[in-house]
Amino acid sequence: MARSKAASKKQQKQQQKRGVDFKKIKRKLGRKLPPPKNATNTEVKSKAIVLPEQSVASEKAGLAVSKKGLTLKELLQQTSHHNSKVRRDALMGLKDLFQKYPAELRSHRYAVIEKLRERIGDDDKVVRETLYQLLKTVVFPGCKEDNQGPFVSLMVAYIFNAMTHLAVDVRLMAFKFFDLVVQYYPPSFSLYADKVLQNYEDILRKNQFYLEDKAKLRSALAGLVRCLSLLPCNKRKVDSSEENMAGQKILHAFELDMPAESSGFSSITKKLKDLVPVLVNCFQDFFPSVHHMPLLDAQSFDCMHSILQSIDLVVGFFGYGIHQGKPASQLSYEGPDEAIWDHTISSLLLKKLFGVFPLNPTNHLSEKVDDRFFILNIVITEIFLRCSEWICPPGFLLEKFLQYIENALLGSVRPAVTHGPVKQFGRNIYFFCCLLFQSLCCKWQVIGSLVFFSNCGANHNNGILQAFTKIFEGCNPQSSLKLACLSAIEEMLIPGDDMVYPDASDPLFEYQITWIRALPQLLILLGDKHPSSSQVVLHLLLRLGQCANSSSPFSREYENMQYSLDKFYSSCVDRGDVYYGPFIRLSWDSQELAICGLYYFSNLGPFLLKSIAFCCLCSELEHLVLFRIIEVLHSAFSAGHIQIADYISFFMTLLSRFKVLPENIYPDVESDAKISNRGTFKLLTNTVCSCLSRIGDDSLVFQILEQVIFDQLLLKPPLDNACALLRVLVVLDCKPTRLSEQGIITLSKYLSGYLFEVVHCIPEDDEENSLPTHQQTCCYYMLPCFFLFDRSPKLLKLVLNLMGSLITESSSSPSSHSYTQYGNDNSNQINAVVSALLLMHKDTKVRKIISSFKEEVVHILQIIHSLQWYTIMLDNF
Amino acid sequence: MELLIASSSVADAGIGCWDLESGAEQLRYKSCASPPHGLACVGQRFLASSQLREQPSASSGSILYWSWSKVEVKSLPAEPIKPIAANSHGTYIAGGGQSGDIYMWEVASGRLLKKWHAHYRAVTCLVFSQDGSFLISGSEDGCVRIWSLLTVFEECESQRASHLYLHSFTGHTLRITDIVIGYGGVSATIVSASEDRTCKVWSLLKGRLLRNIVFPSVIDAIALDPAEHVFYAGSRDGSIYIAALNAESPSTSSYGMHIIGSLSDHSKAVTCLAYSTGDLLISGSEDGMVRVWDPITHNIVRMFRLAKGPVNNILVVRRPLYLNLGSFSNPHTSSRRHGSQLPPPLDKYVTSADEDVDNKGVIRLPSLYNAPRDASYISHRTIDNHLKELQQQGSSAATEMEVERLKHECNRTLQMVQQWKKMYENLHEFCVNELLDGDQVDGSKRNAV
Repeated sequence: MARSKAASKKQQKQQQKRGVDFKKIKRKLGRKLPPPKNATNTEVKSKAIVLPEQSVASEKAGLAVSKKGLTLKELLQQTSHHNSKVRRDALMGLKDLFQKYPAELRSHRYAVIEKLRERIGDDDKVVRETLYQLLKTVVFPGCKEDNQGPFVSLMVAYIFNAMTHLAVDVRLMAFKFFDLVVQYYPPSFSLYADKVLQNYEDILRKNQFYLEDKAKLRSALAGLVRCLSLLPCNKRKVDSSEENMAGQKILHAFELDMPAESSGFSSITKKLKDLVPVLVNCFQDFFPSVHHMPLLDAQSFDCMHSILQSIDLVVGFFGYGIHQGKPASQLSYEGPDEAIWDHTISSLLLKKLFGVFPLNPTNHLSEKVDDRFFILNIVITEIFLRCSEWICPPGFLLEKFLQYIENALLGSVRPAVTHGPVKQFGRNIYFFCCLLFQSLCCKWQVIGSLVFFSNCGANHNNGILQAFTKIFEGCNPQSSLKLACLSAIEEMLIPGDDMVYPDASDPLFEYQITWIRALPQLLILLGDKHPSSSQVVLHLLLRLGQCANSSSPFSREYENMQYSLDKFYSSCVDRGDVYYGPFIRLSWDSQELAICGLYYFSNLGPFLLKSIAFCCLCSELEHLVLFRIIEVLHSAFSAGHIQIADYISFFMTLLSRFKVLPENIYPDVESDAKISNRGTFKLLTNTVCSCLSRIGDDSLVFQILEQVIFDQLLLKPPLDNACALLRVLVVLDCKPTRLSEQGIITLSKYLSGYLFEVVHCIPEDDEENSLPTHQQTCCYYMLPCFFLFDRSPKLLKLVLNLMGSLITESSSSPSSHSYTQYGNDNSNQINAVVSALLLMHKDTKVRKIISSFKEEVVHILQIIHSLQWYTIMLDNF
Repeated sequence: MELLIASSSVADAGIGCWDLESGAEQLRYKSCASPPHGLACVGQRFLASSQLREQPSASSGSILYWSWSKVEVKSLPAEPIKPIAANSHGTYIAGGGQSGDIYMWEVASGRLLKKWHAHYRAVTCLVFSQDGSFLISGSEDGCVRIWSLLTVFEECESQRASHLYLHSFTGHTLRITDIVIGYGGVSATIVSASEDRTCKVWSLLKGRLLRNIVFPSVIDAIALDPAEHVFYAGSRDGSIYIAALNAESPSTSSYGMHIIGSLSDHSKAVTCLAYSTGDLLISGSEDGMVRVWDPITHNIVRMFRLAKGPVNNILVVRRPLYLNLGSFSNPHTSSRRHGSQLPPPLDKYVTSADEDVDNKGVIRLPSLYNAPRDASYISHRTIDNHLKELQQQGSSAATEMEVERLKHECNRTLQMVQQWKKMYENLHEFCVNELLDGDQVDGSKRNAV
């Protein structure tokens, strides 16, 4: 050090010697200039530096951390790290963190999304993929419940940015992201439809470049399909979604303005119109690959399928728009066809899409490929049917399509379908066919079958209908294919808005009749194991009934259906042996539908009524259903759909055949509701009475009923049924009785027995502890008799006389018990008579009447007295 | 001052009319058997009622008019009409036929304006919206349809659209028994009752179901609370259920969802309901009684006996002022006086366009509700006469003017003629002079030569 100092001093001297002019100041390296004398010392010195929270462990104790021990803040910072691996790791870490601490996501979701959205346009493929996974698996599901509007709007700007990125990969990925957004927040499509469609258009325009990367394109196209499927294209679907709204709790609630459900879509018509040619061109670009490659690989198939589906949806939307215009016809709709439907599009479709139909594989290599072509063709056909309404296709084209549909329905396009491992797939194809057929039917409705038939030879239609009928009849009743068929049939059977029925000359009519005839059979085949299918059939039957008025050609078919429907309710196999149909075990909804269908038979005959009556008598049937049946039948009767004789005999059957369980009355009245159906029967009696009294002129009804009821009574029905019949009689009767002379005599014979029976069945307790319930029970059974006595004193007289003579009769010939099986014994007989008299005596009104027949009562008492004396005499012996 | 009018299906009970405040019976028209929904008050001027057929063999039922003073006009439509309805001004009467057709008559002329196929099955009830721009019809097939009269009557619109109706509600499975519509014009709420035991609340604006209420029994009649908080549903089991329209009802209600309570006096089935502006609910029952309820206390305020048979219709109308009790005591004089007041009977068929030139009606809207008792119609013919007169008057004036003009022209022409004559004479003179002068010159020249 000292030496160097000396050396430097020397050098300095040498320099100074060199000259004054070029004074070279030489700075010494590695040595600081001495500070100037007046310098202020700025150094701060302290003994120790205290850094708070130096320790890693203590810092993160309360915070959520990822596996690698990083907090949310750190991870978010790392997502914008310049190293792609760090970014990816950060994203993985976030996923990790949110999975462990979902609350963390909820509280910081805006901060998180603000950071994450920057990565949508990330250059690195892996990072984007990771981000996609993160959003898909964690972020979106986690934020589902919240208000997603602002959340989505934060992202969308970046997605659109990425859609116009230079790198193709990024662009395609952006569509995938948008697809994800739409999946979780469907309204976002209608909000940004304009921009999205524009972007799709741009990218599809240059599709030649991306044909290599079909996987990406496929996912993008799938996104397009998802977006377009949000367009309102099917009126029925819209309706059904509205039906579900009916359950809402508040009626006049303030309704949120859903983001532009209707207005938004109307504005994008133009964009969609631009999109169609692009899609068609894109589809054409796939052609070479179809024709030159031996195999249609899965990816190009998917792409083509998506493209076709998109076209289909767009065309459907146009159609929906046109239909929408119709009901609101007051609004200005100057030629909606021109406004919505452009002729350039129709010519384009005609030339480029329908022209190449049907697509055929160049060589039949595998069934799989065939199936793929088949599906593509089906979708093209669907598009064709959708837009055939507006573009008036030339005849040969129509011919071609109809031929194809027919072949498809017949299965001749794919003969291998019916057997082999692809059977399941084949069924799907049938399913497609049925859907197709359904849309075909819609078209029939729209165009009007006449026009349609004149356009193309009737032979094709016949063929199609035949093929369809064959499928309908051939398929398994439980299968979903049957359901599809049914909905197609509904479309064909129920006349549309114009309410025009097909006439009998129409070839369609013949098939319609065939289908209608198959329905009851199907219902019985379905049994009670497939409630949903049964419900569909029943609903169809109801709809059919609703529109089958006398002017409809189906009315006769509907009428005849009652002869095949009986097995659905119940049928008598042998004498007294009843086989119950599936009706009893169906759900309440289906039963309701079936019952409502009964109303629409314009002449509900005794045949079906009998079957229903057996059903009603079945103890398994819910009593609510029983009353519902009566209610509907009453409505049908008052509408003139049931003959009065049939109606009355239906009720008589119910009352006289209803099995009341348990048979003995007395054990306990409180257990009525639980075990026995006596309560139900009482209700039934009331209902029947009110129905009968509502028929109209009571005296006429009484005349009709009188003999019927006597006939029933003489058959000695169980006590409850007899009581019910008597009640009916009482309800229709009036104060001076309407009973005929002969009737009174017949009735008196019966009533004396009836009184015995009542008294016998309801054993009387001692006077003291006779319960009020017991009295009520007595009252219930005695009351109709009392009413009858009140109205016709003559009846009472006859009954009293008969009672008296019964005692003598039984005493004279103990073996013969003509009227009652209980009166084996004299004492029994006498007991019964006495208690019956006592019961009558208890009722104040009857007491008054009975007092006018003193001699008859005295006569009875005398007989009893003499008998007693007689027995005492016998005993004495 | 409100009058309660009730009609029954039993012919000898006919139509009864009571003062709602005093309970005094005012009128009774015998021999009127009206079906449900078959009674309408036409513009507060008179009553119209469709009639049940006496026997099924009769070819068609009739529609009767009853003025306040017992004069009737009978019309025979082409097919039996059961439900009828009139718009609030009494301009039109709509009737629903058994075949599902709806007929629309103009009251003043009796002309059948339009008949169209509305339903698959018989029409069971018809209601006009408050402003008379919509007609709502219910049918036996369970379908409720809403018709905008604009669309129905405009030829080109009806041809272009695939269907005439504005909305078609097919939610009910059985016959529609009653329909009511609330206030609010195009955004009104519609409530329909059906034999399938349900009442459904629909939105007119959106055309969709808002609420479905299942009742314990079939509902035959409904009445809307003026504030539209609740509606009353008269059921076949004899009670009147109160169903909520806006409030969220507790699900613990013993009757079912949305049903708040019930009014009941254990009578027979309720067949019709009406709500008066005096906050009274009026129900007609199958036993022929009309009961007036206080809906707040659930008590019966009054009872009227109409008939032995069921009461089918109840109307509450404001009492026309000119209808004083004197006219009841002496119906004959008043009938003579106002006999001509009722419009002509309704036509059977739609008349073709060239035929009906003569009998168009022009309706003067009633400016004051209670104003003149002769507030009837001026027939189109009067207007035609007026027009003709006007034309005639106009033409005479025009001819006068024409004559004036012609006279003027004549004068002018005469003057012209005079002028021309003068000119001609001048010319002639001049020419003659010239000639004479020339001759003189020539002669002098020749002489000179």
